[in-house]
Amino acid sequence: MRRKKEKLTAGMFLIYAALILWSLTTIYPLIWILQNSFKDRKQILSNSFSLPLGDMFTLANYEKALNKFNILTAYRNSLAVSCSVCIAVIILAGLAAYALVRYRFPGCGLIQSLVVGAMMFPAFSTIIPVFRMEHAWGLAGTNEVPTALLACILPQIAGNLAFAIVVLSGYMKGLPVELEESAYMEGARAGQIFFRIIMPLTKPSFATVGIFSFLWSYNDLFTQSFFLRLPKQRSITFLLNEISGKQGTDYGLMAAAVSLIVIPLLLVYVCLQKYIIRGMTAGAIKG
Amino acid sequence: MNSQPNIYKNKKPVFFFLAPAMLFLAVYLFYPFFQNLLNSFQAIKSLGTSAKGWNDPLYKNYAEMFQDKYMITALKNTLIMIAVTLIFQVGIALILALMTDNIRHGAKFFRIVYFFPIVVSATALGLMFNLIFLYDKGMINQLLESLGKAGLTDWKDEAHAIVTMMIPVTWQYVGFYFIILITGLNNISDELYESAAIDGATGWQRVRYISLPLLHNVICTVSVLAVTGALKVFDLPWVMFPKGMPLGKTWLTGTYMYYYCFDAADVDYSSAISVLIVVLGVVLSKVVNRIFREKDI
Amino acid sequence: MKKKIIAVVLASALCASLTACQSGSQPAADSAPVKEEPASEALADSEPAAETAEEGQDAEAELSAKSIVVPEGTELNITTTFAGEESNVQLYQDKVQAWMDKTGCVVNDSSATADETMKARVIADFETGAEPDVLFYFNGNDSDPFVEAGKVVSIEEIRSVYPDYADNMKESMLEATASPADGVPYSVPFYGYWEGMFVNKEVCEAAGVEIPGADTSWEEFLEICQTIKDAGYTPIAVSLAKEPHYWFEFAIYNHTSPSTHTAVPASLDDATGQAWIAGLTDIKDLYEKGFLSENTNTAEASEVFQSFIDGKSAFYVDGSWKCGGIADSTDQIENFTVTYVPGANDRKSTDIIGGLSSGWYISRKAWEDEAKRAAAVSFITDITTDESVSEFAGVAATALINGATVDESALNQVQIESLEMTGNATAVAGAAQDLLTQDQRAPIFDHMAEIVTGQIAIEDAVQQVIDNMAE
Repeated sequence: MRRKKEKLTAGMFLIYAALILWSLTTIYPLIWILQNSFKDRKQILSNSFSLPLGDMFTLANYEKALNKFNILTAYRNSLAVSCSVCIAVIILAGLAAYALVRYRFPGCGLIQSLVVGAMMFPAFSTIIPVFRMEHAWGLAGTNEVPTALLACILPQIAGNLAFAIVVLSGYMKGLPVELEESAYMEGARAGQIFFRIIMPLTKPSFATVGIFSFLWSYNDLFTQSFFLRLPKQRSITFLLNEISGKQGTDYGLMAAAVSLIVIPLLLVYVCLQKYIIRGMTAGAIKG
Repeated sequence: MNSQPNIYKNKKPVFFFLAPAMLFLAVYLFYPFFQNLLNSFQAIKSLGTSAKGWNDPLYKNYAEMFQDKYMITALKNTLIMIAVTLIFQVGIALILALMTDNIRHGAKFFRIVYFFPIVVSATALGLMFNLIFLYDKGMINQLLESLGKAGLTDWKDEAHAIVTMMIPVTWQYVGFYFIILITGLNNISDELYESAAIDGATGWQRVRYISLPLLHNVICTVSVLAVTGALKVFDLPWVMFPKGMPLGKTWLTGTYMYYYCFDAADVDYSSAISVLIVVLGVVLSKVVNRIFREKDI
Repeated sequence: MKKKIIAVVLASALCASLTACQSGSQPAADSAPVKEEPASEALADSEPAAETAEEGQDAEAELSAKSIVVPEGTELNITTTFAGEESNVQLYQDKVQAWMDKTGCVVNDSSATADETMKARVIADFETGAEPDVLFYFNGNDSDPFVEAGKVVSIEEIRSVYPDYADNMKESMLEATASPADGVPYSVPFYGYWEGMFVNKEVCEAAGVEIPGADTSWEEFLEICQTIKDAGYTPIAVSLAKEPHYWFEFAIYNHTSPSTHTAVPASLDDATGQAWIAGLTDIKDLYEKGFLSENTNTAEASEVFQSFIDGKSAFYVDGSWKCGGIADSTDQIENFTVTYVPGANDRKSTDIIGGLSSGWYISRKAWEDEAKRAAAVSFITDITTDESVSEFAGVAATALINGATVDESALNQVQIESLEMTGNATAVAGAAQDLLTQDQRAPIFDHMAEIVTGQIAIEDAVQQVIDNMAE
């Protein structure tokens, strides 16, 4: 498609060999989890690396995971929370990163340090004050679904913002400033420049940041277990962790739960990947 | 670095760009972390309980921290972890990203599969690695046995623990840095490569003179993420080596903080450790930025 | 100081239950549930009598149901530890549904697996005023924060309005499960646990040793272990790195007695301090003799448990809940049994460890709301009837005056054999470690590997625990 010298040289061969080797190490764990999700718990500690064939094969883990709870509600809650977090983080972090990269203003360095510092705050050191605040506002600890989801979304947005700002700044620094200047000459204002030039140019970066925000929000068991507590409020990660998470118990059920948790994540990722690549080719044609 | 072009002389929009994000950070992170800072000077038992009063002397936890031999171990291990992260995680991720950027077929495939380790929870990965390194019937010990090695190796004993802990952590996050780096490579315009190709540049020259310099900012970001990540990582190490096992040899700053917050129910000490982690994180990321900026000039 | 008082109360309460058991005047025991057959026999023998008794009970039930008027539609927020893989989740949910159907109330159930996050959440809830109306939670040190803050209502206060509240529970057991913070009973005890030694019979057979029993002494046990080791098996499967709790408890028990066991040392030189040092020395001795799992200092608990299931180790000490764990992990449950941990000194092998660690609380917030007060009392009353408690308890201990009834047909082999073990127990003591908070006991429990390898002196570890308590 672009810029490649299409000779199958020894160098190319080595490159492919290395890439494939690494991909084996990353694919195998998923296969391992998948194969163990079809085994009875009795088999796993002694037989975890063999395929679930014949007698070993069972669907019981999935039956157990799917039957026990209202899994669709849980998926809905999870998607509602993680999508909101993802979108809010992209917009807020994009604006902030743009300001930090392009403007020189007093306190700029301080804010950058604060953002890096914020990235280091562990969730468990901030959760209690957050819970208190949100309870005082009538958000946390209610029996309603929307308020509970909102109570969970807000701290998660904050938790992912710092990382997103740091990463987006890294990408934006690399943009040539000339495009923005020519737009400015044509009378565009700062806000327009951001939405018309910066965002389209760094689409892949926004998609990447979006993927990670979604991922971390989705997997953030700790915050979820504080704010989503009634059965109708539960997220898929929390729900499946509840049925499989107890230490030293049912590894078969746990493997099935992990598979069920991971599937939507991979779907989101593959979709966003497509988007990244499409954005790229579109840009390439224009260029 | 920026020469302050005209459009950015008007500082008014800054406020509107920054305010929403900073408001979120202030309410949900800075204010709570300020409480955490106060906590580190008070006597608090388990998470959620209110303070029983101020520590005497106030700085008690901080003084204790530097005499705590496990804390020293944790700092040492974390330093090793930072080095390993920078060299291996970022190194491998960079090589993989450059390779993927230079191939014709399957780039999309690799982008997807390299992402896998990050989506699976630490509990599941920890369990898997526990089974791989398992003493009896573990994958590696079985393999070695079939190759004719006599006797079992305990991969979690004092001699092997650190390495057994670092390999999975390194492996898991390579994909994370890979994605960030490959996105950076995608942002580089094709024209540059095309004109280089016309000038007859080899593949290596393209990497050396186009990809790497233009990726400079992203590599800097990734290094900051790597350093800060190593300081706070706790989930996978905790699942595999809880409570500094064996014999308190595998503590990291992240696991040590977690231990005091939950298992040892000493929230004020845990808060003090988290303050230290944040301070170290900010200082080290400044250092990383400085190093990259100097290279720039 | 309070802790010591509680310890004495608990020990004496459990001993009292034991005398009742021996005299035979009452078939019930806190530790040993009654089997069903005698009860049904009695029923067949004197049918009219039984009927009147039943009628009487019905009338009584009606009366107490009348005295609790629950306004329909009341919302009751409940938090329990019945969640996830807890074996009683389904039963609990059925009971909640039944109560909702009966009263027309709504239950908002925010139960969660009892882990560190859940504990933090519960404590934070009480601190912020987001606490549930009804809570099923630990009655030990974990309850201190909300008890000290006066956020839960004592049983005495509840009885001032509802005199029949928890009247099917033994007073002595209410005392025994009182708050360690102020010695006042707040929670209605539900069901408890015992600790014993699970045995892989195949391994014992292969090694040619007898399964330890009521008469096996500590010296004989050491010989048995030696024989098993010589036969190429691991005698004791244990993870000192993750779960030294059970061996700690019994090792110390062997240097105390049922009446003195549930206590904490005030100094290294007092009787308890000496017992702790001697007990830890015994564990070190077991380690040095090579009787423990080879990788005990690095293994996960699940890993050594698997080696026990796989027939590589002979013994595994754990709590009553492990009966189910064994059944889930093997197809050959008949290969396994449970027996006493061999005793030494003043402790008979048949002196066991047991207790009731959780109970039902009503929060002050619910108590002050008329409707919620009635609903909470009604719910707890319904779930702690003799019948309900028996269903939940299975083979575990209860605090019921009439004892629990056990349906043997629903039990597995190990559980049935455990009935014999608990039935013949000569005394029950509460766990000494429960008198300590997690952070207080950390110098021993989180550093057992260093203790047995000699990197930390036993005296230093015990002294640290004592210092932590003084703080």
